Amino acid sequence: MIFLADLPAPSRMGDILMAFLSIVFEGAPYILIGTVFSGIIDAFLPAKLLDRVLPKSKVLATLIAGFLGLVFPVCECAVVPVIRRLVQKGLPLSCAVTYMLSAPIMNPIVAISTLTAFKEFQGLSWATAGNATMTIARLSLGYLVAVIVGLVVMRFKPGQVLRASIANKIANAAAEDDHGHVHAPAAGFNGKLVHAMRSSMRDFLDTAMYFAIGVAITSVFNTQINQGLLNTVAGNDWLAIPSLMGLAIVLSLCSTSDAFIAAPMTAFSMAAKLAFLVFGPMMDIKLLFMYSSVFQRKVVVSLLIGLFILIGLLSGPWMNLVQHLYIKP
Amino acid sequence: MSGTRTLVHLLSVAMLFLWAGVLLYFYSSGRLINYLPPDGIFRPMVLVSGIGLAVLGLFNLLTMGAEDAGCEGHDHSHDDHDHDHKDCGHDHAHKHGDCGHDHSHDHAHGACGHDHGKEHSHEHGTCDHDHDHKDCGHDHAHDHAKKEGCCGHDHGHHHAHSHEGHAHGILDESSWPGRIAVLLILAAPLSWAALSTPDRYSANAIVNKGLYDPNYTDTSRAEQFSLQNKVKNVGQPVAATTAAKVTPDKVADQPPAMVSPQTLGTAGAPANPANTPPPGVAAASAAAAETNTPPKNIPAPAQASKSYGTFTLEDLKKQVPQSKEGNFILEVPELYYTGGDVEVQKVLTGQMVETVAQILPEKVNNADGHRLRIFRMLVQCCAADARPYSVPVDFGKKAPDFKDMTWVKVVGKMGYKKEGTQTVPIIEVSKVEETTAPDNAMIY
Repeated sequence: MIFLADLPAPSRMGDILMAFLSIVFEGAPYILIGTVFSGIIDAFLPAKLLDRVLPKSKVLATLIAGFLGLVFPVCECAVVPVIRRLVQKGLPLSCAVTYMLSAPIMNPIVAISTLTAFKEFQGLSWATAGNATMTIARLSLGYLVAVIVGLVVMRFKPGQVLRASIANKIANAAAEDDHGHVHAPAAGFNGKLVHAMRSSMRDFLDTAMYFAIGVAITSVFNTQINQGLLNTVAGNDWLAIPSLMGLAIVLSLCSTSDAFIAAPMTAFSMAAKLAFLVFGPMMDIKLLFMYSSVFQRKVVVSLLIGLFILIGLLSGPWMNLVQHLYIKP
Repeated sequence: MSGTRTLVHLLSVAMLFLWAGVLLYFYSSGRLINYLPPDGIFRPMVLVSGIGLAVLGLFNLLTMGAEDAGCEGHDHSHDDHDHDHKDCGHDHAHKHGDCGHDHSHDHAHGACGHDHGKEHSHEHGTCDHDHDHKDCGHDHAHDHAKKEGCCGHDHGHHHAHSHEGHAHGILDESSWPGRIAVLLILAAPLSWAALSTPDRYSANAIVNKGLYDPNYTDTSRAEQFSLQNKVKNVGQPVAATTAAKVTPDKVADQPPAMVSPQTLGTAGAPANPANTPPPGVAAASAAAAETNTPPKNIPAPAQASKSYGTFTLEDLKKQVPQSKEGNFILEVPELYYTGGDVEVQKVLTGQMVETVAQILPEKVNNADGHRLRIFRMLVQCCAADARPYSVPVDFGKKAPDFKDMTWVKVVGKMGYKKEGTQTVPIIEVSKVEETTAPDNAMIY
C-alpha cells in the first residue's frame, strides 16, 4: 500500500481508532438509510394511516410486527430512527418494540449469513430443512423474545416508556383534532420535502451521536480485551451462556456478520452460540446508547436486564427443542 | 429563523459534510480496503451514503430559508389560544415530568435570568434529571406571547418547545453546553480516527482477537478456503454438523466412483459415513462417530480432524497454483483449514508450500523456541470482526529473530502433528525471507 509508509505506526490507540472507523463505515450507511426513511415517514405518512392498516387487536398486530423484518429487512442500526418516527405516527408501542427487536434477526439477509456461517446450506432441501438447526433456532427464538417483550410493553403507557420529547408527540397527534393547530405538514410536496430532509438531518445527527459513543466504547473492548479468555468458561453452561451474551454486548457486531464470529467458537455449546446470536442484535453497547434516543433510561436498563435473563434462560431449552424436532432423518 | 436556529442549522449541515467527507475520502483514496471487504455491498454503501450525506447537507443548506411545512398552518395569532401551551406539548405549568422538555441532557436552565417566581407552580419533582435551570437565558416570565413568529417562539432557547409539531433533534433542543457536547461527540472521535488511524492492527490486537486460540476444525469459512475435491463434493453435505444426517439412501445414490477404499479410515479419523459403501454400515458408523452427531447441549471441545471426501494430488494441482520451483502457493487460511480435513492432510503432507503472511512469536507448544507463528487477518464484514488465521512454522532449530508483524515469504514442507485434541498444520521451514505487504493486507 502506498499510503502505509505515511501512516502512523500501529499502536493500542491505533487499534481502537481502526476498529472505530471500520464499525462507522459499516454502520453509518444503514443509519442514513434509516433516517432518510424516518424523515419521509415524518413528512409524508398520514398519522391516521397506521391506525387504519393495522389489525384492531394489538396482540395480533404485535405478532405480525415480529415478521415485518422479512418484508422490510433492516439491521439494528437502521431500525432505531425508523421506529422513533413510527411511534410518533401512532404505531402502537408494542408493535414498535417487537419490530425493533425482531427485524435485525427475522430477516432474510441474516438468515442467509447464519446458514452460511454454520454451514447449513449444504444438503438443505425441504426434506432436510431441519439441518439448518442454528438458523431455525435463531430466527424462531428471536421472534419469540421480541413478541414477549412487545406484549410486556403493551401493559405500559407510552409516557412511561418513551422519552418525554417522543411521548409528547403522540399526545400532540391525539390533540390535533380538537385544536386549531395543524401540525401535520399541510403544505405541498416541496414543503413536505423540506420538512422530510430536515427531519432526516436531525435524526441522523441524533442517532449518529449515540452511535458514536457506543462504537467508541465497543472498539476499546473489541481490540483491548483478549477474547480467548472466554474459552476458559466455555465448558460450563451456566457460565458459557452469560459470558457469550456479555461478549455480544461488548463487541457490538452487526447482525449480518455476527454468525461468522460465533460459528468458529467450537469450545462453546450450540445453546451458548444461540444466546450470542439472539441477544447481540437486540442489545449491545452501541444499541444501549441508540435506544436512549427513544426510550427512558430506566426502560433501556430494564430491557438490558430483561433480555439478558429471558434469552439466557430460553436459549438452552430452545436449542434442545429445535434439535429434537428436526434431528430425525 | 432566529439567529440561534440558523446557527444550529448551519452546524448540523457542517456535521453532515464532515461525515460525508470522511466516508468519501476513505472510499476514493482506496484506504477503505483495509476496513471493508472489496466485494459485497459494504464498500459501495460507503460511497452511496457519503454522497447521500453530502446531498442531504446541501439540500438543507440551500433550503435553509424555506419554511418548513410543519410550521405552516401553525396558528400563532396568540389571541385565539390563550397561551397555556398545553396542546403544543410544552406545558408551562412546569410539571416537568410530562412537559416537552427533553430531560436527558441536562439543560441547566438555571442562573439565567429566568424568573420562576411568578404565579405558576413548578412541580419539578416528577423528573429524574438535573433541572437546575442554570445558564440558559430563558425567560419563563410568561409574557412572551407577543414576541413569537412561526416556530420561532423565541424563548431564548428551543429545547422541547416543539412548535413544529415534531421532535427537534438534540442540537435544537439542548442548551449551548449541551450542543457543544453533541457537536464534539459527533465530530471529535470521527475526525481523530480518520486522521490518525494506522489502517492496520498492532500485534496486541491480533493476539486479543485470538491468535493463539486456533481451531483448525472450524468450518465457518471452509466454503471459501478448504481444499476439496470440487467435482465429487458438489451438492453433498460435507460439514461436520451435517455429515451425520446423510441418510443411507443418499449414500447409495452417490456414484460408485466416489468410494475409494484406500482413502478410508486413516490417520485416526472417524469413519467417513459419506464414503462408506454399504448403507447399513454407513448408518452405523454415523451413529458411532459421535463427533458427527449434531451438537447437544454439552460443550464440545475442539474436535479432531475428519474426512470430507476424497482428495488426490491431482485435485491439489488443479486447484492450487505452483511456483517455478513447484511449491504450492497457498494462503494461510487455506493451510489453516487443512488441519480439519484428513484427506487433504494425506495429500499435502511432505509437499512443499509457499505463503506470504505476517509473523509473530509462537506461544503454543514452543518450549524449545523452534517455532514462530504466521497469520493473515480474515475479515467478514468489517475490520472490527477481523480474526487472525494462523499456523505455526518450525525451523528445526532456534527460530530466527523477526520484528513482530513483519511480512515474510515462507517456503517449507507441510506436516501435521497431533497436539492436544487438534491436528496442527505445521510448515517445516526451508526458506524464510522478509517481503513487502501485499495490496490486500486483509483477506476477505
